[in-house]
Amino acid sequence: MKRDTFFAFSSPSVIIMLLLMVVPLAIALWLGFHYMTFRNIAAPEWVGLRNYVDVLGDARFWRSFNFTALYTAVVVPSWVVIGFIIALFLDQVSGFVRGVYMSIFLLPFITVPIIATIMFKQLWEPSGLLTWVYQQLSGTRFRMNETSVKTLIIFFGIWYVTPFTIVVYFAGLQTLPQEMIEAASIDGAGRLQKIRHIVIPYVSSLTVFILLFSIMDSYRVFDSVYVLSGLNPQFKADTMMTYTFSTAVQVQRLGKANAMAILTVIGIMVVLIPFLRLMYKEQIAER
Amino acid sequence: MDPIRSRAGRRFVHFVLLSFTVYSLVPFVWTGMQSLKTVKDAFSRTPLLLFEPTMQNYQDVWIRRVPENAEAIGLGVLLVVALLVGLLLSARSLPIDNRLVYGFCLAGFGLLLWALPQLVYMQKFYDYFINTLIVTALTIIISISIGCLAGYSLARYAGLAAVVILIAALAFRALPRLAFVLPYYWIGSLLNLLDSSLLVVIALVAVNQPFTIWMLRSFFMEIPKDLEESAMVDGANRLQSFLRVIVPVAWPGIISTALFTLLLAYNEFLLVRVLTQSNWTLPVAISRYTGNESADEITLAAAASVSATLPIVVVILYFQKHLVKGLSAGAVKG
Repeated sequence: MKRDTFFAFSSPSVIIMLLLMVVPLAIALWLGFHYMTFRNIAAPEWVGLRNYVDVLGDARFWRSFNFTALYTAVVVPSWVVIGFIIALFLDQVSGFVRGVYMSIFLLPFITVPIIATIMFKQLWEPSGLLTWVYQQLSGTRFRMNETSVKTLIIFFGIWYVTPFTIVVYFAGLQTLPQEMIEAASIDGAGRLQKIRHIVIPYVSSLTVFILLFSIMDSYRVFDSVYVLSGLNPQFKADTMMTYTFSTAVQVQRLGKANAMAILTVIGIMVVLIPFLRLMYKEQIAER
Repeated sequence: MDPIRSRAGRRFVHFVLLSFTVYSLVPFVWTGMQSLKTVKDAFSRTPLLLFEPTMQNYQDVWIRRVPENAEAIGLGVLLVVALLVGLLLSARSLPIDNRLVYGFCLAGFGLLLWALPQLVYMQKFYDYFINTLIVTALTIIISISIGCLAGYSLARYAGLAAVVILIAALAFRALPRLAFVLPYYWIGSLLNLLDSSLLVVIALVAVNQPFTIWMLRSFFMEIPKDLEESAMVDGANRLQSFLRVIVPVAWPGIISTALFTLLLAYNEFLLVRVLTQSNWTLPVAISRYTGNESADEITLAAAASVSATLPIVVVILYFQKHLVKGLSAGAVKG
């Protein structure tokens, strides 16, 4: 393909990304240096680095950072482990039965996140099914406090995204060369040994793929936390995204919120840049 | 992996899969039950598994005032829907051009959705539903059209610019939405554009472009180059050969990508929440049911949730193969 044709074909997409992603990012950076509320939205006041100093000294910001880190640290390994195990079991059935299981397992993933959270929340209302189960098992009342709300957010995160890892690992298992398994069987390897020494190394590139996207997505989790952290206003279980959002919408410190958004962008970029460099080299070599 | 053969082993496999089925379904089943309960039943301290179902919550979510000839209208709507669905499902075996049948069904559903509020006094929820359909459809059409062009050119062009665009797109795919949404809000309020569905659509197209072009590119790369080259030897230019030769071959991949765009647009909460004041889509509309503490909101939220989830589940289950293919395409190659 010629250079001119390439630019003609890709320009609509590239222009819309420049206008609505690169330009807004620059605006966010610029607004981060301003004091702005909904009242002086047309004439933001330049304050230099004050918003950044403000954010970095804000205890609630660091609390939300810690909870985001905890969320990622618990949820991402759970996705990988549960998804891999269920994919192995799903691989054991075939035909129609497999299709039915697959459809059901996919359900959480295709439901609107906000709605899935509301459905999950229904289980934990004072009259909810799991509230009742919890109270029968533990003998104590189920109360919404910081710990229980955070636990619910993490549980929901695991429940909601596991289907994605199941499907990815399951697709990977379908391409596993049978000869490798047969050779191992002839050598007398047990099932667990085969999984450990053949299957896990074979799917390792998928694991890297899943880890990358999982970390990206759990770092910027918003919808479910927005619904669930509202359960007990006294003990906010905020992640960085919901804290930034409430700084903008409820506290109405738009400049500070923009500074926070820029800080979260820098945070994810630190994690991402080594991977982007790797991808860049790979793409250069491939062409 | 080699299959487990022993009887106990097979039982264990099904035990695990069935347990996971229950785990996946519990919130759906419980919400479905709550949506069919009266407020009194829904608030029972010990959860009621057996109760007398009522459709009152669904009626309250959708319909403001029940007309006198409700039964006739309901029957008519059901009949039209059954007819159109039957036509859709049997389209392949009909001797007419399929595109004609699909177009007719689309027009039929559109007409039905337009006619309903003329006959029955509907709730605001219906407006949000229609708005969601329009926003989603527009997003898919625009996003897939420009995404196909870009994805195709990225698959075929070997220059450095293509690599730079791809890597930049990947970086933008990772960024939190809020970094874009707050500036959108600022621009929107300066230009007085807030609450316009068009702004929402364009923003949705933009934030989903990185994902769309990566996915479409991976599908276009599977198509051999000889295909369009032979068409171009026959005198077609690049665009003609793309539209007439490549797109029909890549159609399954395009449907997969369109499904993901559908989910992304239908699911979007944050962007719509910030950019609109009353022109909401369903996720924002439904989140309003959970804010307050009033008693009957649990059952209403349940009915609204089920109402918004059913259409998407039907569509996705119908296209499930494409969805699974799309999920694994990026992964297995990636």
